[in-house]
Amino acid sequence: MSAGQPPFPPQPPRPPQPPGPPAAPAKPQVKALNCPQCGAAITLRSFQQAVTVVCESCHSILDAKDPNLTVLQQFKAATNELRPMIPLGTRGKLRGTDYEVIGFQRRSIFSEGERYDWHEYLLFNPYKGFRYLSEYQGHWNDISVCKVEPTLTHSLVDHAGYLGESYRHFQTAEATTGFVLGEFPWQVRVGDAAVVMDFVKPPHLLSYEKDKNSGEVTWSVGEYLYGKEIWQAFKLQGQPPEPVGVFENQPAPSTVNLKQVWGAFALFCVGLLCVLLMSDLFSSNKEVFTASYQLASGAPKGEASFVTDIFELKGRESNVEVETEANVSNNWIYLNYALINQDSGRAWDFGREVSYYSGRDSDGNWTEGSRKDKVIVPSVPPGHYYLRIEPEGDSGHPAIGYTVSVRRDVPVFGFFGWGLLILFVPVAFLTFKAISFERSRWAESDHPILKTEND
Amino acid sequence: MLAKLYLLYGFMVLGGIGTAQYRGWSLDHINQIKNVPRSIRDNPGAYRSIYSSYHHYTGGK
Amino acid sequence: MTQPAANCPNCGAKITFQWPSSVQTVCTYCKSIIVRSDVDVKKVGQVADLPPDSSPIQLNTEGVYKNKAFVVAGRILYEYDQGGWNEWHIVMNDGSSAWLSDAQDEFAVSFPAKVTPQSLPTAAQVQVDQQYTWNGETYIVTAITIAHYKGVEGELPFQYWDKTDVKFADCRTHSGKFATLDYSDEQPTLYLGEFVEFDDLKFKNLRQFEGW
Repeated sequence: MSAGQPPFPPQPPRPPQPPGPPAAPAKPQVKALNCPQCGAAITLRSFQQAVTVVCESCHSILDAKDPNLTVLQQFKAATNELRPMIPLGTRGKLRGTDYEVIGFQRRSIFSEGERYDWHEYLLFNPYKGFRYLSEYQGHWNDISVCKVEPTLTHSLVDHAGYLGESYRHFQTAEATTGFVLGEFPWQVRVGDAAVVMDFVKPPHLLSYEKDKNSGEVTWSVGEYLYGKEIWQAFKLQGQPPEPVGVFENQPAPSTVNLKQVWGAFALFCVGLLCVLLMSDLFSSNKEVFTASYQLASGAPKGEASFVTDIFELKGRESNVEVETEANVSNNWIYLNYALINQDSGRAWDFGREVSYYSGRDSDGNWTEGSRKDKVIVPSVPPGHYYLRIEPEGDSGHPAIGYTVSVRRDVPVFGFFGWGLLILFVPVAFLTFKAISFERSRWAESDHPILKTEND
Repeated sequence: MLAKLYLLYGFMVLGGIGTAQYRGWSLDHINQIKNVPRSIRDNPGAYRSIYSSYHHYTGGK
Repeated sequence: MTQPAANCPNCGAKITFQWPSSVQTVCTYCKSIIVRSDVDVKKVGQVADLPPDSSPIQLNTEGVYKNKAFVVAGRILYEYDQGGWNEWHIVMNDGSSAWLSDAQDEFAVSFPAKVTPQSLPTAAQVQVDQQYTWNGETYIVTAITIAHYKGVEGELPFQYWDKTDVKFADCRTHSGKFATLDYSDEQPTLYLGEFVEFDDLKFKNLRQFEGW
């Protein structure tokens, strides 16, 4: 020890050195494990969210939260059990977001002794969460859990209200899970049962589900999708299965808007009425010629032909009405007419019969025929005209007096009846198609539109 | 879309009916003959009509 | 309280309280729970490693709620028999604190309600299907959950650690509003809020997932 050196002053206690900054948390990874039953590889795709996972090889249902993957249930699948149409692990873009298929279930309901199966695909996105796709006989739905609780109203037919829209009750049934694959963020077992109530407002579907075991209630809302859209979204090979029948929330063919068509029809009825009124108003209906003649009694072929005075037809090209009035009693008179344009030489040729019979029999008095006859000659241009008339009577007839009148531009209404019909036919056809579509829709529900013999 | 087609169709029907009414068309057809000479006025019997050989008889009960 | 940096009383590492409203934080190095007062900082406990979870949100994730930007400052992690959820402590750009709950990717933002604790039902009184009216809206109790506190992370606006089982009552309206009765303390607290869509929160700096 050297003398004279003062001891060093005591150093203040130094704080312990901090360990290096912690490594950034590892990115969550897809976990790969082995089935405790058969050793097959198990993939967990939902980053800690899986509660149940199924071994694809031996169909053991495993506890995904247990590091040992304890077996919870095992089921036997029928040897002809179909593989999911969208394989597990496939990714597709729905509503602008990528989702991966991570789970699959076959669920069934029983109705009148028949089993109806449908399939559910669980979709996952680590940011957006879970969605489902359900498929039944070629009809698809894009489903998510309701964030807002719908309201139930019990009127004649149950209704459910959700986000301001009213949904009609379609069906209540008990659904059983028959087959499971992949992973789920909740408990799943084959044999799980739930009471399911569906409400529809096409293209949407509101579904209530109450698990029979836990009593837990879930509401979900779905939107109808066509197989084509699913195949496009998931880039699947081949063709989607053909849809069978009409599904509960399948939208009616979008090309028909019945309200608009009926509105147009009403508009056209008003239009027809206007045209009718206008034709009536603007038809001059002018008598341009009238004269009376007599067919002398006797000779079978009657008198020779004769011509009337010339009369003028004015205005635009229009129709001409020729009226014949004859005082026949139990007799007839036949007139060969020709309306001839003196200047152009054009003639309209027609024959009219006027006959009137009356008598009395066991039922009382009867009459047949009429003493008046009218005929319309269409599209006659203006000009100077006369009639050539050749009358005929029955053999041995008495003298018959008759009057011939010509009116110009009379209103006719024959087109309106046909017009109404041809306007109505497309509307009726479209309405019939829509009604039979809706009938098909409701045929499978708890409230079919018409009772059939099968009920 | 179909509603628009129907609207067009309906207006065409209405237009057709309006034109028919205006021009005096009819669903009935009357035979027409051309070039009837002016001399028929003096000699009506010379006129040959379609109907002269066609005798229409209905009779009564 | 714009506390300048202090040192972790346990390991000496630098501790910063980023948010003026924070009362508690967790030392990222030694996982000690640090509580601060006007005068100093104090270690009050230790937090175990949080179990792995699948929330897409992480500390310092940014987002927007009702046109106000926010940053994720801390979290409380809960587990119950059906799974788990996170209550993320978010700080709005005006400095106020709010909570972003994240349960199976269902998000809700809620704010502490200023009601007298006496007006709220006690833990023993609250039942499913009961109705309460707060702020003029009717809420129905939809679920009562007994949750296990699993841990904390980051900065919180109050002291919170080592809770035993905590009772929560979830309440909903028919219009998407959401409320929670929190029975962590002796006095119940009420949080009022609403469900929000992931897209509407316009998140930035989210957690990365392998393969996504």
